[in-house]
Amino acid sequence: MSWWDIFRKSEDSRSYVREFLEKSKVKIPAIRRLDQLRFVVLDTETTGLDPTKDHILSFGAVKIENSKILVKSSMELYPESSRKIGKSAEIHGITQVPNPVRQEEFTKTILQYIGNSILVGQHIHFDKAMLEKITGIPSMPTITIDTANLALRLEKGPQAQWNQVAQKDYSLDSLCERFGIKADDRHTASGDAFLTAQLFLKLLKLAESKGILTYGELLKTY
Amino acid sequence: MANVIVNRVQEFLKRFPPFSFLNQADLELVASQVEIQFLAESEILFRKNEVARPHFYILKEGQIGLYDHDELKDFCDEGDVFGVLALLGKRPYIYEAKIEKDSLVYSIPVAVFEEILDKNSKVALYFAAGFASGQVVIRQDLSTGQKARGVLKKENLDHSLLIFSDPSQIQFSEKVIQILPSATVQEAAQKMASASVSSIVVCQPDQIPLGIITDKDLRNKVVAQALPLDSSVEGVMTTPVITKKKGAGFSDLYLSMIKNRLHHLILTEDGSPNSPICGILSDHDVLLSMGNSPAVLIHALLNTEEISEMKSIRDRAETMLSYYLENEVAMDFVASVLTEINDVIIQQAVKIAQNALADQFPELKSLRFAFLCLGSEGREEQLLRTDLDNALLYEDPPQGLEAKAKDYFLQLGNKVIEALVACGFLPCPGEIMTSNPKWNQPLSRWKKHFTDWIYTPTPDAVLSASIFFDFRPVAGHTSLAEDLSLHIYDTIQKKKDFLSFLGQNAILTPPPLGFFKDLVVEKTQEHRDQFDIKTRAMLPLIDLARLLTLSYGVVGINNTFKRFEKLGELEPRNAELFTQAGKAYEILMRMRALEGLKHQNNGRYIRPENMGKLQRQLLKSTFAPIAELQELVRVRFQLDLLRA
Repeated sequence: MSWWDIFRKSEDSRSYVREFLEKSKVKIPAIRRLDQLRFVVLDTETTGLDPTKDHILSFGAVKIENSKILVKSSMELYPESSRKIGKSAEIHGITQVPNPVRQEEFTKTILQYIGNSILVGQHIHFDKAMLEKITGIPSMPTITIDTANLALRLEKGPQAQWNQVAQKDYSLDSLCERFGIKADDRHTASGDAFLTAQLFLKLLKLAESKGILTYGELLKTY
Repeated sequence: MANVIVNRVQEFLKRFPPFSFLNQADLELVASQVEIQFLAESEILFRKNEVARPHFYILKEGQIGLYDHDELKDFCDEGDVFGVLALLGKRPYIYEAKIEKDSLVYSIPVAVFEEILDKNSKVALYFAAGFASGQVVIRQDLSTGQKARGVLKKENLDHSLLIFSDPSQIQFSEKVIQILPSATVQEAAQKMASASVSSIVVCQPDQIPLGIITDKDLRNKVVAQALPLDSSVEGVMTTPVITKKKGAGFSDLYLSMIKNRLHHLILTEDGSPNSPICGILSDHDVLLSMGNSPAVLIHALLNTEEISEMKSIRDRAETMLSYYLENEVAMDFVASVLTEINDVIIQQAVKIAQNALADQFPELKSLRFAFLCLGSEGREEQLLRTDLDNALLYEDPPQGLEAKAKDYFLQLGNKVIEALVACGFLPCPGEIMTSNPKWNQPLSRWKKHFTDWIYTPTPDAVLSASIFFDFRPVAGHTSLAEDLSLHIYDTIQKKKDFLSFLGQNAILTPPPLGFFKDLVVEKTQEHRDQFDIKTRAMLPLIDLARLLTLSYGVVGINNTFKRFEKLGELEPRNAELFTQAGKAYEILMRMRALEGLKHQNNGRYIRPENMGKLQRQLLKSTFAPIAELQELVRVRFQLDLLRA
């Protein structure tokens, strides 16, 4: 049985998926302080930019709790590709995947890992779409925060729109440079997740300085 | 394999002590447990008296000030470890950690580190030595610091041994005098005597070494214990023996001798104690291989009157010096050896000059004189060939001979200086040398100079005093110099105010306690952003030591750390402070000399950014005794009253 079969059913039969969805129902109170929120900062490396065609080569993530990046929570996973293993990987230079994990295992691991944390990432919607595809959960109820968007709103005001700024000023590279984060070797999923996590800590601090102290206020800004 | 994030953290940590002393596995373990937080300017990380958290910290970026109430006690920048009281004894924080610039702070769980602290002596030493910021409480035990520096830099010890790393140069005895375990100590001693060697190896018939007996064993274990001469060698020998492979590199061999405090190292076929013996290396062999032992150099100096030869010997002494310094050989030893070598050069130069002038001035041959070294050489502290400071003192000549004596001694002084310059010493820019008529005078004139300085302590006089008061006769008649010393101490007894003037001078330069990112550096064009270790740290200590010993009327101790040692005896309640001050001075001397050797200059200006973290911490730790001593002097000599 492949995960496609499971996908077709309206009620997911996989217990870990049900567990995840159940957990996600717990709403975070709007007045919860920022330092009490749990975040999972992540990044994925993919074969391309189209979630319908492309798939995840590697997944890197780290948790933030009590406003601290927990290095011990850092995770790096290389999901096995469902089709034509090797071809696209070779194109992207990843010929030897360290400890590839089967997709089912991958899904189980990351769903448990994410729980009802808030997902944070640079252009997180894309990563979320990729995760939805690989996990077979059509629309994950998980709350997300896009660091590029958050940076834009914090810097240019809550009404700021993307068409008012140069997109490239909000790339991970530009943001890291602006926020004084040394981006030594980019372009591994974990490496970028780590950079994004540091950026996010700084953005949270900037938010606090602008009087954004709670979850509700953060989401409103964002 | 650790993931990229752990690796990233690990790469940062391993750049800084104590993490740099961890092995890969421990480093990875520590890195994987790090928690990272970002704090904005003016936030407080922890407060004074707050219960210690289960973490200690290392600053990834930014700046953090450690405060006691509102007083800044220490300053952390990138790579500084702080808040370690959590680790050491779990006491409450003694300082408040305030963010001065937005900071990324790594927290390291104490639980992970405690285990490492137990098994890794380097890490333990690092903390014991108080290198972590905010651990320093007013004064720390500098000897631990020195020790730590010695141990912690063992890694690159090999560099310092490069000068004799050519294994072909080592001569060792392949014919080893040996004896069977069943033999008596007397037989052993007889064998040693007839071969005139200082050791004998106890071997099985198959040449496997069991133990070694040296002269020292015969002295300590046989004669001193009144052991019968027919006792078996087995009961006396040192066993098991430490062995090395015959073809091992010199540094390897020498290091194992140093580490194990061996005078004799046994070489075997395969390096293990279970293989046949094939040679023995004694420390005497090592000495000869090095060719740079003090004894060898001094002997060579005494046997030459050739200036170029003297220069080359002095150059070799420099190689030996750098070896000593790198290997943390005790400073008083290093300083005495170098002083001895410099003294012999001066004595030879004086002898050469005297011989050259003998025919021209036969009537002055018997007029007594003393060649005085001043400044650092006078204090027996000159390691590098920095500026010459010296003077010539001669007996008051009989009437009628004054002019001739003046001429003679000036020529003598000139010749000596020329010889010394040819040996690589630098002439004194202020012309305080025997070649200057002003400082080449009969005894009565010298007495008058000193009386004037003491009675009329103008700023110039105090400055002169700081140079001339440390005189030490190196060649000629010592008794003349003693005569002058007595005169000086008598005069000071009559004019005690003079000490207050010296005191004022000694507290002029406060220690650069603001030593952190913006260390007190020079502003002049030439030495911009460099730290003047001589003016800012060494001179204050020299002045303080001189002043305090003078105030006790102590004659004849010129050396700064010996002065502190003496002061410790004279004032037991301040002994601790004086010990620390002496240690601080040794550290500074060593640093300056190493710096000078590295850059082939006088080492006076240090670039803080080029210093390793440990070195900076060590330098910083020398400032505390300066501040305390200046305070003591301020109170003791009532300098505040004087200024008011």
